[in-house]
Amino acid sequence: MSTPILKVSHLHFSYGNQKVLDDVSLSLEQGEFLGIVGPNGSGKSTLMKMILGLMPSQHGEIDLFGSSIAHFKERSRIGYVSQKANSFNLGFPATVREVVASGLAGKLGLFRRYKKSDWQRVDEVIEQVELSHFANRNIGKLSGGQQQRAFIARALVGSPDLLILDEPTVGVDAKSTTQFYELVRFLHQNQGLSVIMVTHDIGVISSYVDRVACLNKRLFFHGEAAEFQRRQKEILSAAYDYDIQLVEHHHH
Amino acid sequence: MIQDFLQNDYLQHALYAGLLIGLISPLIGVYLVVRRLSLIADALSHVTLAGVAAGLFIQKKLNLFTEINPIYMGMGFSVMGSLFVDRLRRMYQSYSEIAIPIIMSGGVGLGVVLISASGGFNVNISGYLFGSILAVRTEDLETTLIVTSITLLVLILFRKELFALSFDEENAVLTGVNRSIVHFFFILVVALVIASSIQVVGILLVSSLITIPVATALQHTNSFRQTLIASILYGELSVILGLAAAYHFELASGGAIVLVSIMILLCVFLIKKVVYLTARLQKNRQRINS
Repeated sequence: MSTPILKVSHLHFSYGNQKVLDDVSLSLEQGEFLGIVGPNGSGKSTLMKMILGLMPSQHGEIDLFGSSIAHFKERSRIGYVSQKANSFNLGFPATVREVVASGLAGKLGLFRRYKKSDWQRVDEVIEQVELSHFANRNIGKLSGGQQQRAFIARALVGSPDLLILDEPTVGVDAKSTTQFYELVRFLHQNQGLSVIMVTHDIGVISSYVDRVACLNKRLFFHGEAAEFQRRQKEILSAAYDYDIQLVEHHHH
Repeated sequence: MIQDFLQNDYLQHALYAGLLIGLISPLIGVYLVVRRLSLIADALSHVTLAGVAAGLFIQKKLNLFTEINPIYMGMGFSVMGSLFVDRLRRMYQSYSEIAIPIIMSGGVGLGVVLISASGGFNVNISGYLFGSILAVRTEDLETTLIVTSITLLVLILFRKELFALSFDEENAVLTGVNRSIVHFFFILVVALVIASSIQVVGILLVSSLITIPVATALQHTNSFRQTLIASILYGELSVILGLAAAYHFELASGGAIVLVSIMILLCVFLIKKVVYLTARLQKNRQRINS
């Protein structure tokens, strides 16, 4: 078997006395679509931040593409769409094309300008997310769903191997959300892209992803989507009760 | 009048210096405005005042560097001030705007204390406060030219990084944009531009050429590229018309330039309104006809 794209082993994290992640281990194989679900404050975002290198881990290991995160330098192999991507300054004077191209800035490196081939790549991904008609529109004048697709395009433009989506459909209407999931599934199936998607949308997720991880400080499930669907009730009630049990524990 | 500008050395110097500042001020202004940092220009211009006062103080009390224009001392202070603003902003992450009043009042305080400590200066301090573009000498023009070249070089070299960081800093850093290098050079350039534009518009008005042309451009631009170009055009137009008005009516040049730029802003705003209203009128008419 090839090395997994992401391997998280025995990760612990706490803010002061408060445990946020408790012995979390999970992995993502090449070409896999993993959905991470869990209640608010379950440590999903903290986990993503650590995987992205925005926060140092306290205990445990994170390996990306076979190398420890401390030594991981190929940032452009990861495309990222953040939870707050669409809370940008709506008056910002930039077109979809300009925003998408900015996804290449880090990959190209200092002192290199965008070349013709780079702009071709920009137009290619804009077409993929079906925004060609809006390429020269101001990004702030697009709908929430369209903006989200523009941010996917920005994440894709550097041809990453791994796409990380952190609650990408917050504040987007139901129809656009479905479209968005379809798009991600298409990219995953047709381009062999490995995807991690953090979401609240438990009802829908198992029909799109290969595997599911259910997190609430510790991992309650990590396995095939079909199995998750079958045991959904049992897993979720265990995961969502965890907080309550903790509170009760403290009262005694 | 055009002939006067072509024949008079001091008018020519004024025009050239004005055109250079009219180019670089709105350029850095675009990046400052979209990142909601336009007040930094004000803070740094007041720090420059402290530097100029320090330079004059040293000249008068210690009799040192009498040949050197105190504006260079101002530039030094401005650069230090810019690095300090950056530090303070990081210290107060959730109150990052607090850095600006701290630096600004610090600059004015130091400036005023230095001025009073040396018992007032025999040079006209109002030239620094409100600009003295008609007093631009050849060497001042050379300095402005050097600052312009450095500014253009930095902005061109880091163009894609500056855009990416301005639009979405977190994402830019995640994809591997080197924030600290780019930011360091940018803030350095901001400090230099502010110090060198003092001669044209003066400390109290420096931020006007940095923000007003950009505010005007933002009224109608779609893309970042358009915004850069339109801001420069409005900046240059303000300088040319302002200088001409100042010369013709014998007005303070800094004030005239700023007032012209505000008039342009109002005109663009009006035009936008008119265009919008006529478009709506036409739509209504079409609806009635059909």
